[in-house]
Amino acid sequence: MNQLSSETFAENAKAALGDAQLRGALRHATTIFGIKRREAAASLSNWEELRSQARAIKDEVLLHLDRYLETFVTNVENRGAKVHWARDAAEANAIITRLTTERGARNVVKSKSMTTEEIHLNAALERAGMQVVETDLGEYIIQLADETPSHIIAPAIHKTKRQVAELFTTELGMPPTDDVGELTSTARVTLRERFATADVGISGVNFGIVETGTIVIVENEGNIRLTTSLPRTHIAVMGIEKLLPRFADLDVFLKLLPRSGTGQALSTYQSFITGTKRNASDEGPEEFHIVLLDNGRSRMLAHPVTRQSLACIRCGACLNSCPVYQQIGGHAYGSVYPGPIGSVITPQLMGIQKAAQLPYASSLCGACREVCPVKIDIPRLLLHLRGEISEKQPSGRRKERLAFKLWAAIMTRPKLYEKTAIAARLFQRWFKLPVRAWTTGRDLRHIEAESFREHWRRTR
Amino acid sequence: MNTGDARAEILRSIRTHLAMSSEPQIKMDLFEFPSKKAVPEVVQLFKQNLELVDGNCIVVNSGAEVEETVKRLTEGKKIASPDEPRSDLFKSEVGVTSAQAGIAETGTLVLDSSVDRNRLVSLVPPVHIAILDASRIYTTLGETLAALQSGEELSPAITFITGPSRTADIELTLAIGVHGPQELYVIINQNA
Repeated sequence: MNQLSSETFAENAKAALGDAQLRGALRHATTIFGIKRREAAASLSNWEELRSQARAIKDEVLLHLDRYLETFVTNVENRGAKVHWARDAAEANAIITRLTTERGARNVVKSKSMTTEEIHLNAALERAGMQVVETDLGEYIIQLADETPSHIIAPAIHKTKRQVAELFTTELGMPPTDDVGELTSTARVTLRERFATADVGISGVNFGIVETGTIVIVENEGNIRLTTSLPRTHIAVMGIEKLLPRFADLDVFLKLLPRSGTGQALSTYQSFITGTKRNASDEGPEEFHIVLLDNGRSRMLAHPVTRQSLACIRCGACLNSCPVYQQIGGHAYGSVYPGPIGSVITPQLMGIQKAAQLPYASSLCGACREVCPVKIDIPRLLLHLRGEISEKQPSGRRKERLAFKLWAAIMTRPKLYEKTAIAARLFQRWFKLPVRAWTTGRDLRHIEAESFREHWRRTR
Repeated sequence: MNTGDARAEILRSIRTHLAMSSEPQIKMDLFEFPSKKAVPEVVQLFKQNLELVDGNCIVVNSGAEVEETVKRLTEGKKIASPDEPRSDLFKSEVGVTSAQAGIAETGTLVLDSSVDRNRLVSLVPPVHIAILDASRIYTTLGETLAALQSGEELSPAITFITGPSRTADIELTLAIGVHGPQELYVIINQNA
């Protein structure tokens, strides 16, 4: 798979900036998403209140995550489902591979799930000899193209319909067309065949309701309903942070998530799944498994700033609002989670060394914080992570640290400041060279012949 | 791969890291649910919102009219049954189910799998026809969630449906009927 690395973010971003077609697609998509989100938020009079409530609910869950998890698991297992705990990606993949292999499964249908992307589940299942097919249209397109998602809710946002048509012609033998409806119905027909023979369905989870032991999955296409209704076995993969204490909390989150993501008042389908079927004649899978994934999440609980990252409901609004994402798209980040939220969770999930450039992929403009439905202070998080990076790699950023120390020394001493200003004014032409790292992306203001203080002394 | 008890280790990790952060316990505001109002306009509100998301809404006055409408919409078409083999189900042309509730503010149907075997019939055929009693329509999402929970136990599968299946995964261009039904008809009996 042609996947970029977070470690080469600067080069990835530069390459993306040179891709006119990509930037056109991004401009189109992020503009539409932005407009729809604003309209949808404005349709509710209590939007700000809902955001605060959502955050309070998430904070409550996270501060008592151990107890909520235990209660959730008890309630789920009392209703016939089986829960598996996975400390990391390898353990989750091993559990899911074992479950599918033991059942003699060959055909696996998957619905879109960022968590399964995070653990690279498809590769693990394919190594075990499974045929895995992504059934969300966007995910299906990028699976055929052997690519990775470039947006949390619209995985194939970087592709034009012409590119999709070419892909379908090559991979599915479809006659060339640029009609989106025809492309969609071809995918429907092809994927129906896969659904008809699937042994196992694997889904993600949007919300796990503690008091009822319910999982809630939100979608527009219907492939999640097919994935969770048709095969004999359903496996749902969820991060440990996805819990909500009460069923009634959905009144807040089902208002915020679709409006923030796609601008809909409600997504087309919500599946509320509570345990396994009760009677033999009931429809639905015989077996229901939930895989709870930690994979670095519990570590984020240790600090109030990093803990916020776990409140994220994966709506993608911060991506659409981000001036950096709008220009470079998702692939340049080199991580499963792109954009502002990706820049804060990737270093925490994968280790800060592997994604040390990402917290700097932001101008700290605060647009992400403005749109976040759970009020995550992403700029604060970015600064926190930058601080950690700077502490952990003192040698790597020695010049920057020195420059800021010098800056602080000058700014806190009025006499020294005045002298430095005079020197800077005299030598400003030569001064540009040593601070090139700063001025390539920013303007160095011209220093006037007379400072305010000097002017004041002269004219008062 | 790790060995040992993953459950114990994850819970220990959560507790250790939470203990590292000193934060007062957050107090929660409990939500209040408005009681269900007998609003005569809920049917109109439901219809209006369903039509906004490309669903069809037919309002009738009696059970006989419901039957007539179903007959007209399914005429000459292969009707899906939850009992038929999967290969036949995939060839069916229309599915008819009841709906256990409706949400007027979004035009949403609520299907409860413990009442009607509706999971596949409402999903697999290209056309879904749902029959909804006007008295079961709630105004808001909050009221509906409260009503669903008022029973002893939630059903194994509850599905909210708002319009026909849709996607905008290619260039954000709307396409109707990607995996689920391409057409949705909701027949509301005003006097039931």
